[in-house]
Amino acid sequence: MDAVTYPDEKVIAFIEKNMIPLRVAFDSQPLAAEFSLKWTPTLITLDPDGKEHQRTVGFLPSEELIPSLLLGIAKSHYDREKFSEALTILDQILKEAPKSDSAPEAIYLKGVCGYKSTHKPKPLKDAYEELQARHPSSEWTKRAYPYRLL
Amino acid sequence: MGKTIIWETKMDGALARAKTENKHILLDFFNPG
Repeated sequence: MDAVTYPDEKVIAFIEKNMIPLRVAFDSQPLAAEFSLKWTPTLITLDPDGKEHQRTVGFLPSEELIPSLLLGIAKSHYDREKFSEALTILDQILKEAPKSDSAPEAIYLKGVCGYKSTHKPKPLKDAYEELQARHPSSEWTKRAYPYRLL
Repeated sequence: MGKTIIWETKMDGALARAKTENKHILLDFFNPG
């Protein structure tokens, strides 16, 4: 991460604009125990109250780190039932990084947010159809499979 | 010399900034080697 990803100007600009970066050693206590740390690098997205909403383990190149961090922010909004804010972030991922590893989950979560904010099944079916068309072998397409019947 | 990420090193400081700036925190557990 230090050699490739973190020096990337896009990553620096994204983090400076959107996040508070906090870096601690893997053996730093009590944080390592509180977050059940097992391996490095482990990247965790916390909301402003310190609650965890996403974690990744292992190296991420810059083109994957930014959409992954956006997905973490979207999950935070989703978890706190801020569906409009989550949808805005998810649309940003799909617009700016449609081929990233985060995109399939973003499509899935977009469907769920759409359903929860409208109480109508169409967003779920739309999500499945988009996943089937763009990411047919993704695990998220499999998870959305039942929505084809809606 | 180009810009670099300016990391917080304490959770308390990161949380205070996160609330003030209404931002999420990227917590990176790393191996300093």
